Amino acid sequence: MRYFRDTLALLATCALLQSGPAYAQDASTKITDDPLELTIHFHFRDKYVYTEDWPVEKKAAEWTGIHVKNVASLATSSSRDAFNLLMASGNLPDIVGGDVTGGLKDDFIRYGMEGAFMPLDDLIKENAPNLKRFFDEHPIVRQAISAPDGHIYFIPYVPEGEFSRAWFIRRDWLDKLGLKVPENVDELYAVLKAFREKDPNGNGKKDEVPYFAREPIEAVRLINMWDARVSGSERYGDFMIEDGKVAHPWTTPTYRTGISKVAQWFKEGLIDTEVFTRGARVREYMLGNNIGGMTHDWFASTSNYTDALKDSIPGINFAPMLPPKTVSGRRFEDSRRATVQPAGWAISYSNQHPVETIKYFDFWFSEKGRILSNWGIEGETYDMVNGKPVYKQTVLHNPKPVNAQMWEIGAGVPRGYWAAYASEEQWTNKMALDGIAMYEKEPGLLQPEFTGVSMNSDERAVYDKYWPSLLTYMMEMQQTWVLGAQDVDASWDGYVARLDQLGYAKVTEVMQAAYDRQYGKN
Amino acid sequence: MIAGYLKRLGEDLRKDWQLYLLILPMLLWIVLFLYKPMEGLQIAFKDFSPFRGIAGSPWVGLENFRTLLGDQIFIRAFVNTITISGLGLIFAFPVPIVLAIMFNELQSELGRRFSQTIVYLPHFISVVIVAGIVINLLSPTTGVVNLILSSLGLDRVYFLTQPEWFRTIFIGSNVWKEAGFESIVYLAAIAGISPTLYESARVDGASRWQMMWRITLPCILPTIIIMLIIRIGNLVEVGFEYIILLYQPATYRTADVVSTYVYRTGLQGTQYDLATAAGLFNAVIAFALVFAANRISRKVSTTSLW
Repeated sequence: MRYFRDTLALLATCALLQSGPAYAQDASTKITDDPLELTIHFHFRDKYVYTEDWPVEKKAAEWTGIHVKNVASLATSSSRDAFNLLMASGNLPDIVGGDVTGGLKDDFIRYGMEGAFMPLDDLIKENAPNLKRFFDEHPIVRQAISAPDGHIYFIPYVPEGEFSRAWFIRRDWLDKLGLKVPENVDELYAVLKAFREKDPNGNGKKDEVPYFAREPIEAVRLINMWDARVSGSERYGDFMIEDGKVAHPWTTPTYRTGISKVAQWFKEGLIDTEVFTRGARVREYMLGNNIGGMTHDWFASTSNYTDALKDSIPGINFAPMLPPKTVSGRRFEDSRRATVQPAGWAISYSNQHPVETIKYFDFWFSEKGRILSNWGIEGETYDMVNGKPVYKQTVLHNPKPVNAQMWEIGAGVPRGYWAAYASEEQWTNKMALDGIAMYEKEPGLLQPEFTGVSMNSDERAVYDKYWPSLLTYMMEMQQTWVLGAQDVDASWDGYVARLDQLGYAKVTEVMQAAYDRQYGKN
Repeated sequence: MIAGYLKRLGEDLRKDWQLYLLILPMLLWIVLFLYKPMEGLQIAFKDFSPFRGIAGSPWVGLENFRTLLGDQIFIRAFVNTITISGLGLIFAFPVPIVLAIMFNELQSELGRRFSQTIVYLPHFISVVIVAGIVINLLSPTTGVVNLILSSLGLDRVYFLTQPEWFRTIFIGSNVWKEAGFESIVYLAAIAGISPTLYESARVDGASRWQMMWRITLPCILPTIIIMLIIRIGNLVEVGFEYIILLYQPATYRTADVVSTYVYRTGLQGTQYDLATAAGLFNAVIAFALVFAANRISRKVSTTSLW
């Protein structure tokens, strides 16, 4: 039996390899001839569960012979709670996955090492040619999801693309005031000052807000201008990697300078006074009322405002610009897309069909599965044009955003899959695409990403003991400084001493150990 | 002795079984929802993993408590909790009593009903909405409070980012929300006072003011004491929902309380063991406080919870 199964796998592999980049035959995607049903617990983004009625899932079941049946309840509106409750019940379905607040990566690894999930390395080596090829081609992904024991316990959702966010500025205001796009810190200061003083919206009131921000991570993004980083990843207040060393960006000398300058700009009214309490709808408010001048936010979504507002605010041109040069004369973009998301799925210890399951996971990394998971159903949501999938016009011109339409049919959901940037590109508007091209042309803009470390239980104990309070204190001081309640220079030494008391050195030490083990000293 | 007690209980059960049947659901509820979960308290002494379960997680003794008490942020949160509740006790506790007495003194039936309804209403508004109202009222650019301040020629204040203002805002808005509803208890107590007391006082020529001080207040004093003891029991308890809606890292210094600390480390960081330890620590202190308050009250006023 075993021999037979392996032969089948080998045959399947051959078929896939032969088919190459073109589209594999149905036969090659069949995992089992007898339809097999696997149970899955998959609660994601606080309001969705895996659904067998998704057209995409039905298609996958038709092609693979494996049908997954959701057991997660929509009764809870917290994916994190749903996952924790499942783990506490101890009664795991065949597949466990999801996308929850704070990420599931650490959970997959921790519970995997406790025996809840199967190590996938051998399964992949023997049965999953697409996954194997993917990990061989993307060693950083493999490193990033490895457990301290060297195994991998889950297949992640892997995004694609490099740039995520950019600096946006009201170029029409610049033109009106006779200014050019700021090239360095001094010019940026002059521009923001002019936005504040010279009434670019022309309503006779001094109501302009030169810099505004939607998310906490963006509120102090201007510290970039003094070479300081806000975070080493897309996560707010994350660690960073500098020359192979783990450090927190909010402890560096550049941060000290940056935050004191930002506090100064805040005091001068160049940054939104309510930047910390404004909430998520600030772009609508600032741009819709014609008072916001500049921000740092996502390329695609922020580019839409110029189109959406062109009737109510004639001439509005809120467009990307390159990051101005820092005080040291270099240019960098602090944010980037995550290499790997802390979401995806794993095989639980009680699964009776691990081989079929890993083949099912593998299917989503095949060319065919990848198109299915990104573009949906051929003929319904996309057509093949010159051998490439292209969204149908009806999808592109639907008032609903394309990604929301995809979620409804089960594409683009955070299962273990590889997102295709080409699909997103098809519904990104021209302004954003031009902006991304501008960023791509500038060499060395991206900063190294901190992809996280997997700590063993001793290391985790130290991290858990000190880190929450450290982060609390650092966030508190950041706001205290920006709001001007304390002077940075006067309190910096006390800040550093307090961080030490709160265990900063101990936390970085265990993280460094975990980092060296996971990524190798190089 | 126990045999005698059981015998008497048996007789009582037979005689008054209807009464015991009535109390049964509540007893079951207490056992199931208050005593059964106490089993989970052992998590506080373990290195807990949900997957391994309570039984499968190793004991770590007092390690979690050591972590807590060694954490300056926790200590600060604890002090903040006591401060906020203590100030609440001083400033917010008397308000419903005063309200109840004032309602009682209102002559017009219509005016009384009208004003009562108005002060009860905020109780039924969700804290999320209340927080939204507070944030809008206090906004430095568009808030009414700041518009008034600036029209008076004063500086605008960004209230919600100033630690000095947090307690005032928190306690003040809580009074607005709850005082009316809490006055119901005292109104009920006042309604229970025998009218003959007032009649004889009136015959003796007492003024309204005197009747309020000499009759109404002493008669509702037991209710006040019981409410006070309950309140003291909740001294270490400040609900996290409303604080989370109002606080900012900038105001952590005065606003971070034990429950928000537990929320951040325990639930967001999934450190259930630490969160349970913090909860248990709180409960022990609360018990000691109630016990002490009850003792003092029994000595001083002969009214007590038990």
